[in-house]
Amino acid sequence: MCMELQLGLALPGSDTWSRPLLKLSLYEDINVNSKKRGFDHGYLEDEFSAASFKNYEKGLVGWPPVETWRRKKLRCQVHNHMTAAENGYCGGRASNSTYVKVKMEGVVIARKIDISIHQSFEKLTTTLMTMFDIFSHFPFIFGSVDENRRSFKLTYQDKEGDWLIAEDVPWR
Amino acid sequence: RLAYSLSDEVLEHVFSFIQSDKDRNVVSAVCKSWYEIERWCRRKIFVGNCYAVSPKMVIRRFPQVRSIELKGKPHFADFNLVPDGWGGYVLPWITEMAGAYPWLDEIRLKRMVVTDESLELIAKSFKDFKVLVLASCEGFSTDGLAAIAASCKNLRELDLRESEVDDSSVHWLSHFPETYTSMVSLNISCLGSGEVSFSALERLVSRCPNLRSLKLNRAVPLDKTANILRLAPQLVEFSTCTYSAELRSDVFSNLAGAFSNCNELRSLSGFWDVVPDYLPAIYSVCSRLTSLNLSYATIQSPDLIKLVSHCPSLQRLLVLDYIEDNGLEALASNCKDLQELRVFPSDPFDAEPNASLTEQGLVAVSLGCPKLQSVLYFCRRMSNAALVTIAKNRPNLTRFRLCIIEPNTADYLTGEPFDVGFGAIVEHCKDLIRLSLSGLLTDCVFEYIGKYAKKLEMLSVAFAGDSDLGLHHVLSGCESLRKLEIRDCPFGDKALLTNAAKLETMRSLWMSSCSVSFEACKLLSQKMPRLNVEVIDERGPPDSRPKNCTVDKLYIYRSVAGPRFDMPPFVWTKDEDLALRLSP
Repeated sequence: MCMELQLGLALPGSDTWSRPLLKLSLYEDINVNSKKRGFDHGYLEDEFSAASFKNYEKGLVGWPPVETWRRKKLRCQVHNHMTAAENGYCGGRASNSTYVKVKMEGVVIARKIDISIHQSFEKLTTTLMTMFDIFSHFPFIFGSVDENRRSFKLTYQDKEGDWLIAEDVPWR
Repeated sequence: RLAYSLSDEVLEHVFSFIQSDKDRNVVSAVCKSWYEIERWCRRKIFVGNCYAVSPKMVIRRFPQVRSIELKGKPHFADFNLVPDGWGGYVLPWITEMAGAYPWLDEIRLKRMVVTDESLELIAKSFKDFKVLVLASCEGFSTDGLAAIAASCKNLRELDLRESEVDDSSVHWLSHFPETYTSMVSLNISCLGSGEVSFSALERLVSRCPNLRSLKLNRAVPLDKTANILRLAPQLVEFSTCTYSAELRSDVFSNLAGAFSNCNELRSLSGFWDVVPDYLPAIYSVCSRLTSLNLSYATIQSPDLIKLVSHCPSLQRLLVLDYIEDNGLEALASNCKDLQELRVFPSDPFDAEPNASLTEQGLVAVSLGCPKLQSVLYFCRRMSNAALVTIAKNRPNLTRFRLCIIEPNTADYLTGEPFDVGFGAIVEHCKDLIRLSLSGLLTDCVFEYIGKYAKKLEMLSVAFAGDSDLGLHHVLSGCESLRKLEIRDCPFGDKALLTNAAKLETMRSLWMSSCSVSFEACKLLSQKMPRLNVEVIDERGPPDSRPKNCTVDKLYIYRSVAGPRFDMPPFVWTKDEDLALRLSP
């Protein structure tokens, strides 16, 4: 199963997502060389998306030089929904965790967040805001995280590339 | 004159103190009688390339060997650059040694193809067999392991590090008889979940009082880990196998209690799927830990910092880039004995950084850790200034391997290539024996390397250089060079042919996706009969392509054994005699 889900966070009143955006991508790294990455194409300043596809578009075998056995062992970690039947390296564990990749425009570092430990969009938004330290990125924001949370809207990009409001969809 | 000659027995006794191969080789060159005495008493052989010499030749010269180490495939095989079936078969060696060395007790193999048949032959042929190390090997199953377990009564060490083992569903661990008690070191961390019976393991551990090193595979859950530790509190090295689960206080306190008994524990690894809440269970041993391998642990920087701050005696750390710059700063201030650092990428195929790890972390460690000698560092940005700082502050570096993940990345501050930065490394670190380059690099960096890197033995190059001059600088300047591996560089015929003689002073040269023609390969092969020049090309006979077409992969190594007989169809040499191609 490979879901492509992208969530974005934007200030209200911003037209066409021109303000800084939090983007979440849900992906499953079942096949490390798979081209399935939840990065948007035309959406962000394209240095992100272009760069992210570069490595396997070039078809570089053996680069970066991480040993095959190490890649296999890392692949089993964290990435979800693998059963013992699918991949003998993973043992018999069944994991319920769902890690999602989060990117924020203008910030170089992406973060990973476990969606399953959040129970609602509000909690997710709060965690994301703290994680990305929004106060240092948006100096015009005052007050607490909670007060400002309502100023942010979570959005996601589905497989067709359309941007939809996350709260319109029930929280699983 | 007779008064000055020492008897053979005395000489042999003196030679027994000389362990290093280099010294023994020098000793054997002094005169004929020393050569004879030495060859009869050499007990340990290291063959860095299994095709450089034949087993018969080794046996003929050294008739009483007890310990052998063999290496097979080239290093780049670790990164999938060597096609399956290339070679590196150990069976011909085992077959010959089975007859010639009945007292052989140690076999260490790296990157070789080992079959169950080979393992069964080992089990059958060597009565006092003690040590079997299979590093990054493949081709065998648990059937072969069962044969070893059943027959080798005095086995002390069974280490399968990073090997690929086929599961034949045989409960091989149970094949160790109940009377077997000699295990000292067991590493089965590469085995899959179905291949280890936990109860057999527990029984084995409980009856081996000399067990010092135990590295288990991931399938052993957390609560069982505590049991094992209580059975073997004398362990010095242990690989944990934590099970991802929420914190249970009973499991936690059991685990913490078990660790607190382990007074000899100095090295920990494993940590698969470790949940940070369980980490404090190891705090009681942390102050004595000298080696920590967290390179499979996806824990984040704050937890890593907490852990590292409990380990002031750390000499060796392997970790993922989740440690981030601030984690490395904490490491630099806490671990003043640090000698080796390896930072691996958590998400190697993502061009975007997954964690806040930059050149700053490495600079911090190089400034704060005066004993730092060995570095392997994956990152996404670097600057010449940082490299110069590192070089000036750590002239004692002996191994420096930097991988800037995106090829041809320039200095993020100046946009320049990293010639000056790596130049500083080779200039200041006069004892550097291993170097891996990355990032944007011109021929200039090779000029620096040729000029300064006089002790360099192994060099790895990728996506670098402008012309043959680059390769020429290295081959003509690096006096101590033994292994050179190159991929995706514009190096071609000229540098290779000009420096043909140099290649015989080296163990091997690997070049893939470069600009070498088949004509040059044939010419080189004709010029240098003691070099095996292998063109690895799965596209078909190189002769069938236009003359200016370059070969895909090239592996050149010196050999006194001549061309090998087990070449697969995709390896091409100058000899068109197909009769030489026998299946292994």
